[in-house]
Amino acid sequence: MDTTQLDMQPFHRGAEADLFLTKIGPWKAVVKRRVRKKYRIPQLDQRIRSGRTIREANALSDAKRAGVRAPSVLSVDIEDFAIAMSFVDGEIARSCLDQLPRREQSRVLYAIGQQVGALHEAGLVHGDMTTSNIIISRNGLPFMLDFGMSSHSSDPEDRGTDLHLLQRSISTSHALDSRRSEKLIREGYSREFGDRQASISFLRQREIARRGRYFAIR
Amino acid sequence: MVDTHGTILTNVNSTYSPPVGIGIHPRKAAEHHVEVAGQVVQQALSGSGDKKLVPDIISYSAGPGLGPCLRIGATLARAVATYLSLPLVQVHHGVGHLDLAMASTKARDPLAVLVSGGHTAILVHVGRKWLFYGETQDITLGNLLDMFARETKLPAPGGRSVESEAAKSKRLLPLPYTVKGNDVSFSGLLTASIKLVKTGNPVSDVCYSMQEVAFSMLAEAVERSLVQTQKREVLLAGGVAANSRLKVMISEVAKDHGASFHPVPISLSGDCGAQIACSGQLAYSYGGEISISESIVVPRWRLDEVDVPWIPLS
Repeated sequence: MDTTQLDMQPFHRGAEADLFLTKIGPWKAVVKRRVRKKYRIPQLDQRIRSGRTIREANALSDAKRAGVRAPSVLSVDIEDFAIAMSFVDGEIARSCLDQLPRREQSRVLYAIGQQVGALHEAGLVHGDMTTSNIIISRNGLPFMLDFGMSSHSSDPEDRGTDLHLLQRSISTSHALDSRRSEKLIREGYSREFGDRQASISFLRQREIARRGRYFAIR
Repeated sequence: MVDTHGTILTNVNSTYSPPVGIGIHPRKAAEHHVEVAGQVVQQALSGSGDKKLVPDIISYSAGPGLGPCLRIGATLARAVATYLSLPLVQVHHGVGHLDLAMASTKARDPLAVLVSGGHTAILVHVGRKWLFYGETQDITLGNLLDMFARETKLPAPGGRSVESEAAKSKRLLPLPYTVKGNDVSFSGLLTASIKLVKTGNPVSDVCYSMQEVAFSMLAEAVERSLVQTQKREVLLAGGVAANSRLKVMISEVAKDHGASFHPVPISLSGDCGAQIACSGQLAYSYGGEISISESIVVPRWRLDEVDVPWIPLS
């Protein structure tokens, strides 16, 4: 579908894409268009934008098939680096997680862990797993977004990276107790993925976190 | 030497440079430091004119870095501080980069991008500390440029050699692009770049491609961090901040999101004494004086462990 023909309202401006609200048939939809980045040379820019658009469209449908909550792909426009997907009514976890009542917060964190576990169990990894890429729907369910950097992988390295990125986004962008949050996420993750597999991911997550510069050997 | 306003009075440097094709040997670098130490201190104290400068505080870089080299600096600092009966302050090398960059570019509360041989990090200041928002998961941007230069026999400093070689080409060769959230990873890029040279591709083409890919990766991570943190300023500090292509890219990112761009001046981007003096003076005013027995070196010292209560600057 040629998304440039749709009647679209600007909705949100992210780091790599612009989002627009529109209607496709009876559905309220979001068009995500990856914009040109002036800082990149055109050749590299095209490669990245088209690669990620295709990746994201594939991963969204694979994730959904695996039972992970995510928007449905309605249409893809590769020429325009755009994907039309179903609208998820809710709020970005990054901006609402801190304000939730404590019990609700725990439930959501656990549910986020479950979603990541389900994704990994299906042989997928997200690649950019942060609270900015999770929507908490009106009825309190986490939906995962932004699959542009995802891939098919059962490598503990990639699974550990997802968990590491999620944990760091919680410790740097939220006023939550990051120990408690991690525990809840891990419980949900283990529940979905099984203790044995989960512990492999956790081990690697710790190793990745310590890859940063100048960690003391303790 | 730096005054209490952060104005640089003297900034004397002597850098160890290894022969072409060979990396830095810690002992040889330390030997160089011993050789030049006396002269550097003397020049720093003698100032520009005939008026001698008298310091109030002595600060030294306690880490992170090569142990043998850090110990020379620490020994020298202890000696001078004891001889002149002056307070001693220890400084984190990376914090020194940031403090001087902040002072010289008038940034107050930026998203800080520190790119050097020791660090490649995207930082935000929260509470009393710099937090890592994104960083390299393996080697730094400085490592990438230096190690590539070493392997391909380009003269040190690697960053400058790669930049001037890259200027001769406009041909993009395929290289791995690795961004993981706000993190980057350069080791695969280094291996692939060296391989391209060894299989007969012109060095200038490889330099051009490696720079474009590496800097685009970092620029993307910076852009994500900027959108997530909503900071209004972007600071670019560290030795690699001297690279004009990187500067253009990061400034584009800042401009695109309505943030002001604060690149450290080239003359203050690389490692220098003014960074340590600038940071030491700030630390001292926040009670950072230490005793001789506490004046150890810390070869592994993570930037987010350092207490930096003076930011945001008022």
